[in-house]
Amino acid sequence: MASETVIRSLRQQIASCESQLHHLKRQLAEAEYQDQQQRTNLASEQGVNTRPDPLAHDFSYGIHDDFKSEVLAVLAQSEKTAPPQRRWPLEADEYKRYGRQLIMPEIGLQGQLRLKGASVLVVGVGGLGCPAAAYLVGAGVGTVGLVDGDVVEESNLHRQILHSTAKVNMTKVESAMIALHSLNPKVELVPHQGRLTPETALSTLQSYDLVLDCTDTPASRYLISDTCVLLGKPLVSASALRTDGQLMVLNNPPLPPGNTSGGPCYRCVFPKPPPPESVVSCGDGGILGPVVGTMGILQALEAIKVLTKKPSASSNESAPADPPSLLIFSAYASPMFRTIRLRSRKLKCAVCSAHATVTREALNSGSLDYVQFCGTVNPIDALTSNERISAENYAKIRLDVNPFTGLEPSKDSHILLDVREKVQFDLCNLEGSVNVPFSTVSSTPINGRNRTASEPDPEVGWISELRQHADKPIFVVCRLGNDSQITVKKMKELGLDNEGQRWIGDVRGGLRAWRNNVDKEFPEY
Amino acid sequence: MAPSKAPAGHFSILYFAAASTFTNRANEHLSAPVEARDLFSKLEELYPGIKDKVLSSCAVTVNLSYIDIDGDDAPDLGVVIKEGDEVAIIPPVSSG
Repeated sequence: MASETVIRSLRQQIASCESQLHHLKRQLAEAEYQDQQQRTNLASEQGVNTRPDPLAHDFSYGIHDDFKSEVLAVLAQSEKTAPPQRRWPLEADEYKRYGRQLIMPEIGLQGQLRLKGASVLVVGVGGLGCPAAAYLVGAGVGTVGLVDGDVVEESNLHRQILHSTAKVNMTKVESAMIALHSLNPKVELVPHQGRLTPETALSTLQSYDLVLDCTDTPASRYLISDTCVLLGKPLVSASALRTDGQLMVLNNPPLPPGNTSGGPCYRCVFPKPPPPESVVSCGDGGILGPVVGTMGILQALEAIKVLTKKPSASSNESAPADPPSLLIFSAYASPMFRTIRLRSRKLKCAVCSAHATVTREALNSGSLDYVQFCGTVNPIDALTSNERISAENYAKIRLDVNPFTGLEPSKDSHILLDVREKVQFDLCNLEGSVNVPFSTVSSTPINGRNRTASEPDPEVGWISELRQHADKPIFVVCRLGNDSQITVKKMKELGLDNEGQRWIGDVRGGLRAWRNNVDKEFPEY
Repeated sequence: MAPSKAPAGHFSILYFAAASTFTNRANEHLSAPVEARDLFSKLEELYPGIKDKVLSSCAVTVNLSYIDIDGDDAPDLGVVIKEGDEVAIIPPVSSG
């Protein structure tokens, strides 16, 4: 018991030190950021010279009044005679900083001035937004706005390159501001803390020239695209999951709804949102850092192309935009890139056609519910309470002596079925568990209706395996406790419970609950 | 990984993202010709459930050009997918 107390106390001390350290790191990052800003402000107020003025001493500690007024008069005059007229359109250090792109015919002086005069809004400062914003800020876009409502998590760091270990738990907007400011202090950064909503979308996007959709849900994709059409802003939209990515330049040229010469919008390409249960997040499906990085960098590239487009020689209007296309990136396919030619605006598009139903008024009134349009997945609650066991109670079955029979705990008394995909099972699993991936479970047909067929299909391996131990109860576990419930239902439909003779149920909350409530050392991923 | 050329009387079909996950393959060859309006039901026969779970929200292309087959009066329902054509099923990817 004494050792337990020591362990508990040590754990508490470590936790307290860690949280203190965390707090200090955050304070340091903030202080560094503010210090940096103050220096910049000071430098721009006083000119580059921040050394103490030798005259200041003499003036404060007394010199002859005649001399003083004489000097002041001269100084005042010198200010008048040196008007801040600039000889060169860019500042001296800008020629140096942007020199490598300035000497390219695609950019040149005019292109750089266009970038400098432009403002871009980056919605989402994650895997796409980080590299996109870094390249835009690096290239000297005058103003860059950042929208995000999340804080930095450790699992973001492998791909979200503006955030760093010390900034875990800081808001993503704040963290990105610090990184971007140190990359290029000449760019004005505008924080927009919080998620974009239908109520805030119009006012947030209003003052920008171009928008980058770097978000991660179908609802935000439709909201941003609709808002861009209503405000007449071109939109560079990208997405990535696992090893695949997509990129489109939408609403380009950004002509009013109904004008068929305008570029198509997100709804023209994908009029229907994907079924909500099919939407996979990076947290569930996985994402390779360079895949999403590639897509974010391509967004910055397309944004620079749109912003620096030269007017056509014949008229004052911009040269015609590139025909709309959808770039598909598949990191493990050959070729890796495919360009799909898109159509112009859809004749019946709900936003950009002459028959538009999505209007500014509708958006402002809050009558457009994007979350509802895209659907939501209710938390799965497929089983009754006696088909479920808590992680703590399951631990007792595994670890404790049975209080009634006095028998030693046994892992052989039951079957523990882990339905995570094999790659996750191989990362970490509970001793003695059997892996049948959920994808295998889902694709197993329920052959009830084929029973009468003269030659019934030979039963899938995992089912016949489980039938062989007809007396052992089956506990099903997965990562979070959703797939396990669906599996239990399916196994009962397959008749594996021998019409109720055998108990089949799931471990509530999955391996996450196991880690939180039973074994703190079980890896979290 | 590059899809092989379709044999005589067939077209190639590429499955991206969720379509690839659902069919458990990146590409295959199907017999041609097929009218675009029949494409989804043909795939539904091969992969029961794919229509509602995946295809309903997908973009479809023939030889790298988008075709509009969304709705009963969509303009490209009559497009004929011929021998040697390359069709792609492109679900929207929304994460990032």
